[in-house]
Amino acid sequence: MNVSTLGTAVPQVNARSKVLGRAQYSGDIKIPGMLHAKVLRSPYPHARIVSIDTSAALALPGVKAVLTGVDAPRTMWGVHHKERRILAEGKVRFAGEEVAVVAAITEEIARDALDLIHVEYEELPAILTTEEGLDEDAPGVHDGRNNISHEIRVNEGDVDAAFAEAHIIHEATYDCHAQYPGYLEPMATVATMDADGRLQVWTSTQSVFLARARLAMALEIPVSRIRVMQATTGGGFGGKMIEDANNLIAGLLALKTGKPVRVVNNRLEDFLACCSSVPECVTLKLGMTKEGIIVSKEVRIIAECGAYSGLSAEVLHVSAMRSDNMHRLKNVRSLSTLVYTNNPPHGAFRGFGGSQMQFALNCHIDTMARTLGLDPVEIHKRNAIGAGEVSIHGWKIGSTGLKECLDQCTAAIGWEAKRADKTPKSGVKRRGVGIAAAMHVSGNRTIGNWDGSTVVLKVNEDGRVVIHSGECDMGQGAMTMLSQIVAHELNIPLSHVYVFAPDTDVSPYAIGSLASRVTMAAGNAAILAGRAAREKLLALAAETLKVEPDQLEIDEGHIRKRDQHDIKVTIAQMAGLHIWRHDGEGLQVSATWDAKTEMHGDVHGNIAPAHSFAAQAVEVEVDTQTGRVTVIDSFVSDDCGKAFNLTAIHGQTNGASVQAMGWALYEQLQLENGRLMNGNFADYNMPTSDAVPMLRSDIVESNDPIGPYGAKGASETAILPGAPAIANAVFDAIGVRITDLPITPEKVLAGLRAQRDAAQEGATHA
Amino acid sequence: MRDFEFLEPTSVVEASSMLADYGDECRVMAGGTALMLAMRQRMVMPSHVISVSRIASLQGISFDPQRGLRIGASSRHADIAQSPLVQQHYPMIAGMAARVANVQVRNQGTIAGNLCYADPATDPPTCLMALGAEIVLGSTRGERVITVEEFLVDYYVTALEPDEIVVEIRVPAPTADFGGRYTRYLRTAAEHRPLVNVAVATRRNGSVCTEVRLVVGASTPIPCRVPRAETFLVGKPVTADVVAEAASIVAADIDPLSDQRGSADFRREIVRVITQRTIAGLFGLDMPEEAV
Repeated sequence: MNVSTLGTAVPQVNARSKVLGRAQYSGDIKIPGMLHAKVLRSPYPHARIVSIDTSAALALPGVKAVLTGVDAPRTMWGVHHKERRILAEGKVRFAGEEVAVVAAITEEIARDALDLIHVEYEELPAILTTEEGLDEDAPGVHDGRNNISHEIRVNEGDVDAAFAEAHIIHEATYDCHAQYPGYLEPMATVATMDADGRLQVWTSTQSVFLARARLAMALEIPVSRIRVMQATTGGGFGGKMIEDANNLIAGLLALKTGKPVRVVNNRLEDFLACCSSVPECVTLKLGMTKEGIIVSKEVRIIAECGAYSGLSAEVLHVSAMRSDNMHRLKNVRSLSTLVYTNNPPHGAFRGFGGSQMQFALNCHIDTMARTLGLDPVEIHKRNAIGAGEVSIHGWKIGSTGLKECLDQCTAAIGWEAKRADKTPKSGVKRRGVGIAAAMHVSGNRTIGNWDGSTVVLKVNEDGRVVIHSGECDMGQGAMTMLSQIVAHELNIPLSHVYVFAPDTDVSPYAIGSLASRVTMAAGNAAILAGRAAREKLLALAAETLKVEPDQLEIDEGHIRKRDQHDIKVTIAQMAGLHIWRHDGEGLQVSATWDAKTEMHGDVHGNIAPAHSFAAQAVEVEVDTQTGRVTVIDSFVSDDCGKAFNLTAIHGQTNGASVQAMGWALYEQLQLENGRLMNGNFADYNMPTSDAVPMLRSDIVESNDPIGPYGAKGASETAILPGAPAIANAVFDAIGVRITDLPITPEKVLAGLRAQRDAAQEGATHA
Repeated sequence: MRDFEFLEPTSVVEASSMLADYGDECRVMAGGTALMLAMRQRMVMPSHVISVSRIASLQGISFDPQRGLRIGASSRHADIAQSPLVQQHYPMIAGMAARVANVQVRNQGTIAGNLCYADPATDPPTCLMALGAEIVLGSTRGERVITVEEFLVDYYVTALEPDEIVVEIRVPAPTADFGGRYTRYLRTAAEHRPLVNVAVATRRNGSVCTEVRLVVGASTPIPCRVPRAETFLVGKPVTADVVAEAASIVAADIDPLSDQRGSADFRREIVRVITQRTIAGLFGLDMPEEAV
């Protein structure tokens, strides 16, 4: 009997422990003698630290340590630019920057002590917009350099000649705001020194090895003196990679005090400490033929990284280039600039820069389709790159289900009928439909010249399996995915597989959960490991049963002769025999899979082994008197190659579309003089279940030739089309094009007012 | 949150003397939905928290045709929403209570806790003010009864004396010709606090409005009646034009808040729209229903 769960709906393997409250998050860890830390943050976006007096805080009973910038190592940390200290010294560059930290015997005492630290600041003029940052006379946010953090130039084909031949050209500017990742579990770490003086760190992270490398660099100790273990992680969405300072602070305090230290952000602290997504201003110019073929594309992006650049440059690469590969584009020119300001830092976020550019591109296609009298769906399809083709930037497209995704969406939303109704919309509440399409990668060979993953698999003497992988499960389902693959290869029940949580001392080296790479890389490695273990089991069974290995199968806990089921041994017997014999050893295999991709030289090169596609159609109702936009229907179609777990894909797809609705309609970080004014969920409104319609979705299986069993990444693509689909639907409903997010009632009413004024003016002139 | 002593008096008098004893150092806790947040953020740091949940006289909901509705101070929003008495005699209150904040708050927060917090961005005060509700306050000195208008002094400020607690809320019995409607506007579907709300309570003779109390809340520091609009509405048949004019008067006469959630101009415009929809709906004129 085949017990494989691939392609079915199964609960996450770690759902039960979470639902029962037994899963151990970093904040749950208690170690005798553990101290609790609280962080003092800068109230100013830009200031010189004149002096810090910690004596009163240190004198408070229960306080064990108060650290400031002078106590932290000199080494700067960061991704491209090593520009940040664990605790600021000399200067603060954003409101929220870590200035001092207290460790005390209780969290309350630590909090009390913060009030006793006296910091004298000399406030400096702050750069709060990209315009100010780009001003030639502006002082550098970082000493000795201007405020351009990064610049990307792309120039392919002959853009000017192609524009000259285009039938229509449209140019517009789109403003995309920053979004807070809003995971359930704020950043949390417990760090301690073990008996041998090694630093032990339990943390909420998407990558234990990147966390370890950063700890080693920032704390100036060798990688091998640090052990990072991933505790159960309550969501990441890109925010828990290597940009927040939470585990650095915990590590520093453990080193300095020699004691276990717990650092758990409360929600306000998390809003201040975590990077929000990169705000981008995208000016897009497209030239099309009258058939809707995109002949030329010109892009200007001005993006803001805030005070520290983190992963923003990588994010900008995605905004600048990824959407070009969706189309059979021949001419593109773009200039993208990342600008420092004294605002809180921006960085990685689900979609990784894709959302910003896809908003611009999909709004643009909708607008131009209307000008040409074409269906935007037709424009998407006519330009769509096909499987087997190589894109303008050298991307080899192995599979694409984009057209099928569009078809699913149009059928589900009733696109044809709703679009066919050409009667002018009237009444107070008006409905409209919108659609958008997007692509994403499954892996990205840009971190270094490796985009692989290793799976170590042990078959215990009871015939059950333990998997070691360094790839983190932060809720997206990596553990379930690995379990399903190994159980499938060995034909054993899912419950007989256990995935050991990533631990840098135990797990094989891994890059971590980013770039939608884990199903692709670790999934393929798990297939190889499963097959290697199976081969070993069958070889030993063949020897025992005196048959040929290829005559054997694994079924019902046994290894048996395929055509004579009573000739059999149990898996457990073979796993035991693998040890208990001359020259035996525990049955353990290690398998590595590395994508056959290229590090891109400048901007050209096949960086990803596969590409996911998605489309979304929505129907909205706009109240023309109150400006309120209500999404009344939403359908997402996700080409994830092959769906291993329908429940997981459903969760990822719908979760992503809700997060996109939040970005498009509800969420808005409010800064006043660089200070965050709404760092709580009462004032920063993420959509709850009552704020979204019944979410509908389906799957397209394009069966990628490289993906494991045809699968591709399935957690980021679905966030990309939501915002432009909503903006396009709003336009369809009321004829108002909103190009700056979020689409608020005020903007809708202002748009309608402008529309009325224009109509009146038109009537007067006529 | 700082450690605190948790006191559980069983009578109004006992609670009142505790309040007198501890003064500024203590806080009353009903459902605790707002207090716990404030304490966790150290906006308040009481040494003593006085729970009113064991005071029996603060419990329960009852109705008497002469005296009207009595809502015990400790009634949770969900209790009020689900009460057959409230649903039967005051569907306007039941409907309001069913929409307050979110399900977690409705299952934990109480009506008196809501009134005492005096947060402008909420539902009950506006609705209760329109219905002419009275609030019974108790202390060691006995009881006194004041109107909602008298109770709500300013943004987060009430007329409670330091040793007083709310005992109950009284709403007069509805007359046969009563009509009432409460409407709230959430800026987006993801918000749980109204940006604007409007409550209208009328007596009518056919389409003629004979008596009206019109209250705007959430967009003003405390809910306020709009006398000029009330006067305008009384004695005339309520037509679409009358409704539009009344709504314009309301929008012109209020002094709206202006903050991150909405500028004064935006709030004024929404107040106009919501007022128009509320009165029109009440008088059966064809207007779009406000999404809640």
